[in-house]
Amino acid sequence: MISDIDYQAVSVTLKLSGLTVIILLLIGIPLAWWLAHTRSRLKIAIETITALPLVLPPTVLGFYLLVFLGAQGPLGKFWTELTGHPLSFSFSGLVIASCIYSLPFVVQPIQAAFERLDKSAIEAAWTLGASRAKAFFTVVLPQSRRGLITAIVLGFAHTMGEFGVVLMVGGNISGETKVVSIAIYEHVEVLEYGAAHTLAAWLLIFSFIVLFMVYGMNRRLQMGFH
Amino acid sequence: MNQLDTNIWLKRKQFELRLDLSLPDTGITALLGPSGSGKSTALRVLAGLEKPHHGNIQRGQRTWFNTEKKIFLPPQQRRIGMMFQDYALFEHLSVSDNVGYGLAKEGREYHIHHWLEHLHIEDFAARFPSQLSGGQRQRVALARALAPEPDLLLLDEPFSAVDVSLRQQLRYQLKELVKDVNRPALIVSHHLEDARYLADNIGVMAEGRMLQFGKTAEVFNNPACYTVAKILGWENFLHIDEIHNTTVKGKWGKLTLEEEPHIDMAWLSIRPEHVRIASQGQSGLNATIIEITDLGAYRSVKCLLEDNSVVHMHRPWDEPVPISGSKVILHLPLLNIKALPSYIENIKSSKKETSEKLFPSAIRQTS
Repeated sequence: MISDIDYQAVSVTLKLSGLTVIILLLIGIPLAWWLAHTRSRLKIAIETITALPLVLPPTVLGFYLLVFLGAQGPLGKFWTELTGHPLSFSFSGLVIASCIYSLPFVVQPIQAAFERLDKSAIEAAWTLGASRAKAFFTVVLPQSRRGLITAIVLGFAHTMGEFGVVLMVGGNISGETKVVSIAIYEHVEVLEYGAAHTLAAWLLIFSFIVLFMVYGMNRRLQMGFH
Repeated sequence: MNQLDTNIWLKRKQFELRLDLSLPDTGITALLGPSGSGKSTALRVLAGLEKPHHGNIQRGQRTWFNTEKKIFLPPQQRRIGMMFQDYALFEHLSVSDNVGYGLAKEGREYHIHHWLEHLHIEDFAARFPSQLSGGQRQRVALARALAPEPDLLLLDEPFSAVDVSLRQQLRYQLKELVKDVNRPALIVSHHLEDARYLADNIGVMAEGRMLQFGKTAEVFNNPACYTVAKILGWENFLHIDEIHNTTVKGKWGKLTLEEEPHIDMAWLSIRPEHVRIASQGQSGLNATIIEITDLGAYRSVKCLLEDNSVVHMHRPWDEPVPISGSKVILHLPLLNIKALPSYIENIKSSKKETSEKLFPSAIRQTS
């Protein structure tokens, strides 16, 4: 069956994807709201930067992240002074890299949902006495739920499948930075097709089940009130 | 008295709104005007959804907005109930949760039930807005706006989203409801019938200005100027070129009025139901009948005067009318002729001003 090392890779992958999605939702929701409503000239610049990971080769992104997060890099230096550990080739560094790499996959669907929102429903909430925060949580987020679900699924799946950036920034440390995609690559390199098969099939089935559940849930939501 | 005094100025790129208006504390007031006249913006200003650049809004003892004192109450604090044009229901909430959205936890269920029952929508309590008809959606929106017991009801084009066949019935229900809850209501509409049926007072707006404000019947029967008359559906306008004592001349001919019109008067207007064909010996304007449309209770007769200006005449269905193409003399009873200036803006503080620069087409040559 599955070896301890492979099991660790699965666990690192799930932990990384879950954490990345949570952090990206916390950053992405306010950022998407700002992008959907701002009239600032900065909007185009910020939108472009957000979309950059979509077009950059993972190795280019990974290289700059390595420089940025490395012991001599601006963030890396600060982090090392603060915690005593370097960021590159650590799980924390991997999380930061994944957040940047998967940012557009989370921000763009949420931004699109916010732009489609019925503005008068929010205003109706205000005239009914709801504070801006209450209106946001009780009207904006529920009415954007499909964009949010898409963002979560895309963010999670994209982080699970990343390879180039992880290899550049995280390296290949079992239980710390070795993720499933790298484990599979390693097995194939030494011609362990059986082990590669097990991991690959596991990833395939897991992805299928997650997507299936999400689409099913979306359909139920749709039938409820659309 | 809790009357609402508004005196504000708001500027946008292509648009300027200047409002100087006192809303009575009871009954229904309608703001009428073509699209782009600023009536919806006026409603949004009162709701606190738009912030004017300058001015003052005062309701009773409470200041909603004052630029000098730097006061701006947000919509949450104005105690208003607003119904939006497309109703803006919360599509993800059931009918009862929509109605209860603005209610405090205490007594919430009781009040929801009360309003559902009051608007006859208790059977739909568990449904979602997408499962309702246009009329039902409107009632949910009304119940939601009324449930927190607002001091003032603001309704933006309340009937624009319903069928013509439902309109009559919903109009009646709305009128009864507002009387029932005993709250002042302000309605924005571009529909003459709605305003005439519902409103105790109307304000006529054009190009961001209030042109006339008063009792509904008074405004409909005595428009203050050409622009207001046009908006209120008056159809016949004869341009005044010259005034000699009581005689008024235009390219269409001349008429002798009972009194000499004021020098500012630029138009003569008469409603189609008052125009008739002159009996023998009666003087009037030479005209040619060009079109007769049978509208059931009456016939609409379109006539062309000598200068090609059009006069519409409504005659009872059983009154004979010469066929299309006939030359006739039109009799305009002096009592029913109104002389109108081109444009007057309604300013509360009685500094009425006549402004022709906004409507240059109406500039006249007085000899």
